[in-house]
Parts: sequence; C-alpha cells; structure tokens
Amino acid sequence: MSLLEDLSKDRRVVLYAVVLALAIILIGTMGLKFGLDLQGGSYLQLQLQGAVAQVDVTPEKILEVQFNASSVEKLGNSYVVMVPGIVKATLPDDLGYSGSKMVEQNNVTKITIIATPETVITNFLKTNLDADVKIVAVGPVQYEIRTNVTRDSLNALLAPVGGRVPTGENTFVDGVTVETVDETKKVLDSKLNRLGLQDIRVRVVDNKYILIDLAGMDVATAQDVVGKPGKFEIRIQTDNNQTIHVLYGDAVSSVEIPNGDRSGGWGVPFTLSEEGAAVFQKAAIDAGAVKSPDAHPISMYLDKDEIFSAPLAAELAGSLQKVPVRTLEARVGSGDAASEKAKELYIHLREGALPVNVVIVGSGQVSAALGKQFKVQMVIAGLIALLAVALMVFYRYRERRVVLPMVATSFSEVVMMLGIWSLAGWQLDLASLAGIIMVIGTGVDQLVIITDELIRGSEAVPVESDRSIKERAAEAAEKSGVGKAVATSSKVYLSRLSRAFTIILGAAATTAVAMLPLLYMGFGALTGFALIIIVGVILGTAIARPAYGRIIGHILAGN
Amino acid sequence: MELEDIVSKYPPKQIMLIPVVIIVLALISLGVTYLNTGSPVKLGVEFTGGTLVTVPATESEDAVAAEYAKYPLVDVRNIGNRYMIQFGPMSDSEYSDLAKQTVSKYGTDAEIRHMGPIYSKELQAQVLRYLPISFLLMAAVVFVVFRELMVSLLVVISALADILTAAASMNITGVQLSLGTVAALLMLIGYSVDTDILLSMRVLKRKGTTDEKIIGAMGTGFMMTGTTIAAVFSLIIVSNFLYLIIPSFTRMDIIADMTTVLIFGLAADIFNTWVTNAQGLRWYMNRPRKSARGQKR
Repeated sequence: MSLLEDLSKDRRVVLYAVVLALAIILIGTMGLKFGLDLQGGSYLQLQLQGAVAQVDVTPEKILEVQFNASSVEKLGNSYVVMVPGIVKATLPDDLGYSGSKMVEQNNVTKITIIATPETVITNFLKTNLDADVKIVAVGPVQYEIRTNVTRDSLNALLAPVGGRVPTGENTFVDGVTVETVDETKKVLDSKLNRLGLQDIRVRVVDNKYILIDLAGMDVATAQDVVGKPGKFEIRIQTDNNQTIHVLYGDAVSSVEIPNGDRSGGWGVPFTLSEEGAAVFQKAAIDAGAVKSPDAHPISMYLDKDEIFSAPLAAELAGSLQKVPVRTLEARVGSGDAASEKAKELYIHLREGALPVNVVIVGSGQVSAALGKQFKVQMVIAGLIALLAVALMVFYRYRERRVVLPMVATSFSEVVMMLGIWSLAGWQLDLASLAGIIMVIGTGVDQLVIITDELIRGSEAVPVESDRSIKERAAEAAEKSGVGKAVATSSKVYLSRLSRAFTIILGAAATTAVAMLPLLYMGFGALTGFALIIIVGVILGTAIARPAYGRIIGHILAGN
Repeated sequence: MELEDIVSKYPPKQIMLIPVVIIVLALISLGVTYLNTGSPVKLGVEFTGGTLVTVPATESEDAVAAEYAKYPLVDVRNIGNRYMIQFGPMSDSEYSDLAKQTVSKYGTDAEIRHMGPIYSKELQAQVLRYLPISFLLMAAVVFVVFRELMVSLLVVISALADILTAAASMNITGVQLSLGTVAALLMLIGYSVDTDILLSMRVLKRKGTTDEKIIGAMGTGFMMTGTTIAAVFSLIIVSNFLYLIIPSFTRMDIIADMTTVLIFGLAADIFNTWVTNAQGLRWYMNRPRKSARGQKR
C-alpha cells in the first residue's frame, strides 16, 4: 500500500493517471472515427489549376488588337476606340465591356469604354483563356488566372498585343491563392450538402489539392456527383401570385466575381446569352414586371431552392421596355452580410461550378466489407505485437514486476493517443493503425532505456541474466550509498533518470522530425501515420515515461 | 563471449572494412537499377501512374483477365480471397469506363485506386524534396544533442548506411517504391539513430573503458531494436502471411510494403550501430591525443 501512497504524491504519476482516465472517458463518450479505407466509400483527388502572374502590357494596344481599331485613346477613366467601318453591336459585350457607348459617323465607329487599365487586361485574359481572372494584389498588380497556364503559354498569348510576363521568379507563381482554394472548398461543401449526402469530408492539401471522401458511395457515382452542375432556374411572379418559368442555367453565359460598389453595395453581375436576353425581356413584359416591377419580383432557384428574389430595378425595367438587356446584376444590399451573400449567390449562379479549373488526379473506392476485415486484422496485429513485446521484455528481465508496468505503460500510451484522436475528431485509417502498432514497438524502447539506466547506473557490465533484477538494483543502490526506501529521491537516482531522459529526448526528437515531411506528402495518405508517430512520441516522452520512471524506481527499490 | 570478440578483438580499422564493403555493394545495387530504370529503386504503381483494382475472387483469374482485356492490363494476382488487377496508365475516359464496368459488376465490393499522371509526377517530386529534408532534420537534431562533430558524424553515417541498405534490399527482394515504403524509409531515418544515440551517450557520459561501455550499451540496444522488430514482425505476419492460412483474410499492401522495408532497415541498423558506429567510436575515443588536433598519427 505504501507504494500507492508514495506514488499518489508524485505529480508526474498523478498527471499520467488523470490523462489516462480522461482518454478512456473521451473514447467512451465521443467514440472513434475511422478513415475511408476502414469504412468503405470512394474518394476523389482534385488538383486546382492556376497561377498568379504579373503582366507587362499596354491596355491601348490590347484594345487596338481586339477591336481592330485605328486609334485608341485614354480619356479620364474611359478609353475611346476608333474603328473603321461598321462594328457589330454586340462586340463590346462579347469582349466583356458592357455599358459601352457606340456612335457611328462617316463610316467610322467610335466606341467609348469605361474601364481601368486593369479591367482591360483582366478582360483580355478572360476572353482568351476562357477562365476567371482576378486581381489579387496591387503594386505590382498580380492577376490570378484560374486555369492551367504556364509562363510560356501566357507569354505566347500576350505576344500579339506586345506584352509579356516580366522576367524574375516572383512574376509567375504556379497555384492559386489561399482564398481561392477556400472558395473552391466552400463550393464543393455547399454542393455536396445540397445533395443531402452524409459523411462527406473535403480537405485541402498543399493549397493545391482538394481531397473528397464520400463514405458509402461507389466511385462512378462520386465522379458524376462532383462533376455534375446543379439545376439553376430563373422564374418571374405573374399576376395571380404564381411564378412561371423564364430561363434555365444554360441561358447564363457568364457570371462575374462579386464586386462592392463605392457605396458599399454588393451584387453579382451576370450576362445572359442573346436568346436568353430576348426571352427574359419578353417574360418581363408579359408578366407586367416592366410596368410595375415591385409586384412581379424575379426569383432564382438552384435545385428547387430559392436563392434570390428581387424586383427589377427601375432603370432596368425602363430599358427592358425597349430592348433586350444582356448584362444584369443581382443586387443583395450592402454591408459585410451582403458581401457574404453575394459570394454565395455567385457560387449558386454558376450552378455550383467550381471557380477554378480542376482536374481529377486520382480517385478510387474502398469496399466496406474489406475495411471491416482490415480493422479486425489490425486489432489482431496489435495484440500479437503487444504479446511479442511482452515476451521480449520478459526474456530480458525475467521479472514479472518489470514486464507488467512496461507493457501496461506501452498500452496506456495507445489509449491516450486514441483519446486525443476521439477528442479531435480525427480519423483513424489503415496507416494510422499501423502507426499505433509501431508506437507499441518503439515506445517500449524508451522504457527499456529508463529501466537499464536505473538498474545498472554507473557500472558498465554486460547483461548477466543469471542475476535477478532485485539483486542488481540493490547492489546499485548500495554502491551509491543510498538506502532502499529513499532511493527514488536520491541524487544518484535522479541523475540516472535525467541521463536516461537525455537519450530518450534525443531519440524521440529524431523520430519526430524525420516524420514531419510525411505530414505533407502523398496527398494526405500518410498524414495519419506520421501524426500518430509524432503524437505518440510526444505523449510518451512528456507524460507516460516520466511516470514510468517513478513507478519502476519505486518497484525496483521497494520491498 | 562472442559479442565481446566482435567489439574488441580486432582493431577498428580492420572491422570497418565490412561496413564499407556493404555500403559499396548497396550503392552498386542502387546504381545498376538507376542505370537500367532511371531511378535507384523500382517504382511502384503510385509513382508510375496506373490503376489497381481488387475484386472478390468469384471466377478464375483468366476469366477476370479476359473481362478487362481491352484496358492496359499489367497483372492479375491472387491475394487471399480476392484478385488484384493492375493496369498501366490510361486516359480519363478509359478509366471512367473501367470504373463503371467494375462498379456495375461488383458494386462497392470492388476496391479501386486510380493514380493519374499528375498524381504520380507530383509524388515523385515530393519524395525527392522531402526525403533529404527529413534526413537533414534528423542530422540537425543529432548535432544539437551531441555538440561534438565526430560523434554526430558517426551517428549520421550509420543512419545513412541503414537507409542505403534498406533501399538496396528493396531491389533484391523486389519490393517497389510505394507510399508505404517511403513512409518506412522516413521512419527508418528517425528511428535507426535511436540506438546510435544510446550508444554514443553511454560511451561519452559513463565511466569505464570504451569497450566495456559499448558492450553494456549493446544489451539495452538489442532489446530496443528487438521490441521494434517484434512489433514489425507481427504486422508482417498479419498483413502478408495470415491470408495464406486464413482464407477470409486479405493481404494489406500498404502495410506489407512498409514492414518489409522496415525489417531490412532494422537488421541493417543492428549491424551499423554495433559495428559501424561502435567501431568508429572505439577509434575516436582511443585515438592518440595528438590526432585530436588534426595531425596524422
């Protein structure tokens, strides 16, 4: 009993016991989550394509080439483009310059475009690459191009307009910004949630890859689901409080990234196809929305859920009476909430299409039955490992009193680790379980170091298995002139323990740092393995082994 | 005792010839493979790109092979009560067909792993980037722990010898480089120096002759590696052999690969710690004082 009393006063032992108890409670209440390979389902690995680049080009030259113009002049915040002959009325809209004015005189068309130099460059990249382009930094201006481009392909594209990517390493960086990756992840999340799928995990790796786990789904379905757009619909309210169908998503030819205006208002600009604009105009006139907009709001639906509803703006209603309008904007109000809402609407307007071009780099499925079987096999492997380790320890020390605490400590480390995993909600996959078994094997090493340091403190003799541990411990205690009862607080004991811990710390640190790269490698496939080994090493060195040092000291010196 | 003989009977320089020969042989094996295939070890499907499908073994292997004949079939293997079918790189639409065909026949009972060209290329780049980082981090920790150039260097050299031997053993046993084996190599980098640290600490910090201290450390060190080998061995049995005896079990590839490399690495570690590193320490500790100042004996 005195052993227990002594130990209960030791802070390290108490900490160890508390953490262990906590871990058991956590596992009991929160349970353990298993990875896809133990649970069954399918996974997709997507690569986000894109680059952030600086561009060296004059906007006037771009407009000159795009419009086939004789002259381009910048006047204030607009460009005046002179084009010989008659220009197709939709040309400015097609090139992304909506709201331009066109006047034809003496067989020369004068087009006034309200745009900043950056807008011109952005529009040029957008129309030529058929992808979203966003300004992500100013001074120098950096453009995020959300599709697969290389420095060379961009240079080739800019050559006809006399532009290029400036030389230097920072002028062209592969990959998209963190915000864009985040946005893409959100789109996927919202899309998969809308489909009512359970148990979906979307992760970002390396800021470049998105991994999607879809539990309980086969891979053919998974590829369909992720690749398939949602169903977008515009409806208009008629006289008798009913809405009628106007357009489907195929009539929306492009959606702009939401922009706040000067007064803090937010909206999502989008463009209808020519036919779409005509249908929209007709529907608005037929329903009477052009005359009394407030009574006939326009609403938008995605997969039957209403995502937006508002009356036509007064000036839009005015124009619609005369001509079809292709460029529209869904305004959502002002403030931070509106900015969020605009972003969400932007995603929905695009029918859940991803903001960035993605390619599927890998995919697959795991059988649920196989996963269950793997789990059983790993538990068996764990038990065999524990038994094998116990036998090895017994073979060396021939002493039950050493074997039991050692194996118990090793096992309790596993329990603590599982406690952390259930608290954090991390998933255990096949590799993680292998990691746990490795921790059983390597964790005992350090207990061996402690035990050996304590038993054979300052002498350096080969193992003499014919002598019992008690004898050796007693001899060691005698040699250092310490009585048995006070051994655990003696200077010699503490110095030996601290020497053991120098070795352990060194060994633990090397194992942990060597595993660090694995956290980032292999598209997250081995993150679990690396994390288990690292956490196991930390947990063992910080909590379990100090307590073991005390306990084994008491046991060796006691009775 | 035999162990003592190995440690102290011969002068360090003679014994050191053995590890030198082994390292040279390992380098030759890696070099020959490099000249033949363009990489020092054989690359597995994760690094070359391709598709792995495992399905319940309900028909004969030939029937399964015939069923998938229109795809770039590489190999059909029996792994317990399942077949593992390996395909070479294929186009996205081909893969899409393959996935649909497999799912429509076997449903979610089939296991599919598809690795596209971007995946495998990126993985190769990652290994080339991270394996050296891991090694350098380990070396940095070792230098911080000992703060003595020669002792640290001996530890790092032993670790390097372990990795080279483990990699060469992959070529001999036909284990290909996969994510699992890369994890094993990384683990070896960190783990194999543990016994070297123990040895060097004991030799530096304890009283007594170097030979005695080395033999003393040996007992602890053998035990350390022994328990790890015990854990690895149980994984090998369950992942790689149990399915041959118990029909309902299946081979667990990632773990089988991982543990094969680990077992070779650990065996190499025993040798490199207690021969390479220990003899190095013997030479270093017993060197004439003058040579410590950099003069030749």
